[in-house]
Amino acid sequence: MIEVKDITKKFGRRKVLNGVSFTANKGEITCLIGINGVGKTTILNAIMNLTPINSGHILINGEKIKKESYEKITFIPDAITMLPQMRIAEAMGFMNDFYDCWNQERATELLGFFKLKESERISDLSKGNTAKVNLLLGLAMDVDYILMDEPFSGIDIFSREQIANVFTSHLIEDRGVIITTHEISDIEHLIDKVVLLDNGNVLKEFNAEEVRENENKSVVDVMREVFKA
Amino acid sequence: MNNIKFNNRDPVYVQVVRHFKEQIATGMLEPGKEIPSRRELANKLKINPNTAQRAYKEMEEEGLIYTERNLPSRITKDEQVLGGVREELILQAVDSFVSSIRSINVPVDEVLSLVKEKYAAEDKN
Repeated sequence: MIEVKDITKKFGRRKVLNGVSFTANKGEITCLIGINGVGKTTILNAIMNLTPINSGHILINGEKIKKESYEKITFIPDAITMLPQMRIAEAMGFMNDFYDCWNQERATELLGFFKLKESERISDLSKGNTAKVNLLLGLAMDVDYILMDEPFSGIDIFSREQIANVFTSHLIEDRGVIITTHEISDIEHLIDKVVLLDNGNVLKEFNAEEVRENENKSVVDVMREVFKA
Repeated sequence: MNNIKFNNRDPVYVQVVRHFKEQIATGMLEPGKEIPSRRELANKLKINPNTAQRAYKEMEEEGLIYTERNLPSRITKDEQVLGGVREELILQAVDSFVSSIRSINVPVDEVLSLVKEKYAAEDKN
């Protein structure tokens, strides 16, 4: 389990996170939802220690995050970080050289899953296919937790469907996933947990099936209530 | 297993169980037939694997499916359970029909004769 406990973050004088707390379980898909600029990416960066927090704690499996923890978590940013002139095979090779937890077998399977060719150059790919390569590079790692920043944003519907299919497939296995998004409607049935964020605060944290079961409400219904209030 | 059109407000696992019941009642899923694994079901229906697991747990508790050792789960052959499924679906449909027709105050005899007429017409089509 990843536990985020009361974290705060300031950029200069601006408070971006105002005491954010939530948990994300292994084997579940946790979705951080909020409009742009509410601090979703900052939270992921904080978990990865890419940005130091001002106060609060982040625990993984009950322990404070340390260097070795990063063999258990991977972060997939919203845009690919590989050089555009690289071929997909070269990007995969780079990951293989760099990370002990790279799983070449799964990477090859993902290539087939996304119908990508190893020989293609990143600069020649469509936006959707670039997003898929970006995901592939993270999903192929043997880690317990995967953080994805806006995996569905700015890509066509068919690529979105293909990416959504990963979530229901064995490629995710029983890993814990945290994704950020501002567009929920096409993944409502895929996610376990929802964390609604606004202005650096958690407004509500709930399980999607439980809200449907106990209150007969859709995730979007709850969002309307919470964000309008 | 056809695609289900899910609504957003009922629990997904409940909708999955209902879908299985419909398939059983209409004979699309025969007694003793092997059903997909939790992961296969999740993939087919594009739902969360935990939800698929929950649906199977519910069906197992209701006796709709059974699992022997490590083999894939199968649809029950228990006649009583199967009969119950059919009855449950019929009653649910009648209930929702009655509650919607009641609100427009139609005498029951008129309703019944209309139902008979409609049924006959449907059969011809």
